[in-house]
Amino acid sequence: MNKTIIDVQNICKTFKITKRKSGFKGSISNIFHPEYEHKKAVNDISFKIREGEMVGFIGPNGAGKSTTVKMLSGILYPDSGSINIAGYVPYKQRKEYVANIGVVFGQKSQISWDLSPLDSYEVIKHIYKIPDRKYKENIERFTELLDMQKFIKQPVRQLSLGQRMRADIAAALLHSPKIVFFDEPTIGIDVVGKEKIRSFIKTLNKTDNITMIFTTHDMQDIEKTCERLIIIDDGKKLYDGSLDSIKRNYVSSRIIEAEFEELPEKIDIDNVTVSNVDNNKMKKLITFDTNSKGINLLMSELLNNYNIKDISVKEPEIDAIIRDIYEGKIIVH
Amino acid sequence: MNTYIQFAAIKFRNNMAYRFEYLMGILNTVLNFLVYWCIYKALYGGADEIDGITFSMVTTNFIISLGLTNAFSKNEMFLHDKIKQGTIANELLKPVNFKFRMLFEDLGDGFFKVIFNFIPAVIIALFFTHIEPPAGILSFSLCLISAVLGYIVLWEISFIVQTWAFWLFSIWGIVTIKNVIINIFSGVLLPLWFMPEPVMNIIKFTPLDSIFFTPVQLYLGELQGYEIIFNFSKQLLWIAVLYIIGEFFWSRGIKKLVVQGG
Repeated sequence: MNKTIIDVQNICKTFKITKRKSGFKGSISNIFHPEYEHKKAVNDISFKIREGEMVGFIGPNGAGKSTTVKMLSGILYPDSGSINIAGYVPYKQRKEYVANIGVVFGQKSQISWDLSPLDSYEVIKHIYKIPDRKYKENIERFTELLDMQKFIKQPVRQLSLGQRMRADIAAALLHSPKIVFFDEPTIGIDVVGKEKIRSFIKTLNKTDNITMIFTTHDMQDIEKTCERLIIIDDGKKLYDGSLDSIKRNYVSSRIIEAEFEELPEKIDIDNVTVSNVDNNKMKKLITFDTNSKGINLLMSELLNNYNIKDISVKEPEIDAIIRDIYEGKIIVH
Repeated sequence: MNTYIQFAAIKFRNNMAYRFEYLMGILNTVLNFLVYWCIYKALYGGADEIDGITFSMVTTNFIISLGLTNAFSKNEMFLHDKIKQGTIANELLKPVNFKFRMLFEDLGDGFFKVIFNFIPAVIIALFFTHIEPPAGILSFSLCLISAVLGYIVLWEISFIVQTWAFWLFSIWGIVTIKNVIINIFSGVLLPLWFMPEPVMNIIKFTPLDSIFFTPVQLYLGELQGYEIIFNFSKQLLWIAVLYIIGEFFWSRGIKKLVVQGG
């Protein structure tokens, strides 16, 4: 077992948000009586990550993923709790600490708009004091792995989003950091681009034993790269474990999609959850667990007691499982 | 140190990219000289001196002050813009001291402006006006040293105001007010020789006269012996005080930082 490299204990972060009143009158009253709202972006999150692990961070928008990543990378101060990464306290020893990490923000480019990626890399070389040999080696390797030959000398403003993202990822890894945080690195990128980024990340995790944290909304990213998954919502940690174990535990559930001839007032069957299909009132989704309810029994109950037109059985996709977790339909621990 | 010089060099090179802008910069500086020169010419109304201050002393004061204003480059909205756009996150991820990085970028800019802006403008100005030569080699060297200290004083004040962006999010108004106060009470617009006694008594207890006026006085050789030591000590004292205040606001502000967007 590798040793723990990231140790996060009970971190919290609250933001003060100004409540804007609308209209002219509202604007005036805002000047004299501003109203504030306190939002707990991160509420008591703890976890440990071992060296060389690759952890996926998921959660709906506004769940606190980015705030957590920003605290881990030393940009934000937590209100309470403690963070220890590779022997540093990120927010206190920022300058020394950030030399050891790389961060990629999918929504904020770190390379200069007017320069080419290669020119930006030269600047980074000086900032991080990367030795010549290592710099050359990394540039060659990344150019090949990320397929950047074509655009490495073009000004960044002329690059496509996918190209820019690849250039950004290379920039964050140039100084061979021990730990890398990716904050939505595949946002807005096409299938091919995503695939390139995923395989690059995976390769580097394996060959260089880099510890990685990966936030995303794309479950494919997680399925293809991460062994461990942390789900957060509303600033709290909902789940921490392997993707496999989620599948194992919830794949026992099945969904029956049933279309009724006439809508029953209430579907009264034990041990199932019933939900609506958006555009069709006559269709219902009936979720059940094969461990607590035999499929034979359920089918006969349905067919005997209700007037059913069409019926089909589905295995839930990972996206659906995650959605159910976000919506509180599946309680994980 | 090498890393920080890189920041200065990048800024210097970026400025080179905008050739039209630097030609306009020279024109702007020359026009500024001309406007001040005309105003003071009219005020003197043909007299050689007023209250013992000669016309060429006044000319020298505003040329040095304007020159230093030029050289004392500071990107006042740097921190504000980074906070507003959320790109401060990227800055904080670099293993460098944020404040030094800011300072060196401004130094690169200032260096550029002195070479390509101020010196050409002074050469042009010499065609239509008379500037007092420095009182001596020693006076000139002391003037240069105190100009550097004056710059640090000015920069620290600007830095303090900039850190308020952590709380206020928009600091343009405050920056403008600060600059007006500095322009009036540090001797750029009106040489401090002409300041009324009561106002001067207040200015003496502020860092304002340490910025432009001390270098001007040294250049003209107005300060002697003990006064030179006193003025240098005053500049150093203000640098220390302002540094402490700046660090205070910075360390509080960074804890309050909210990264916008994403």
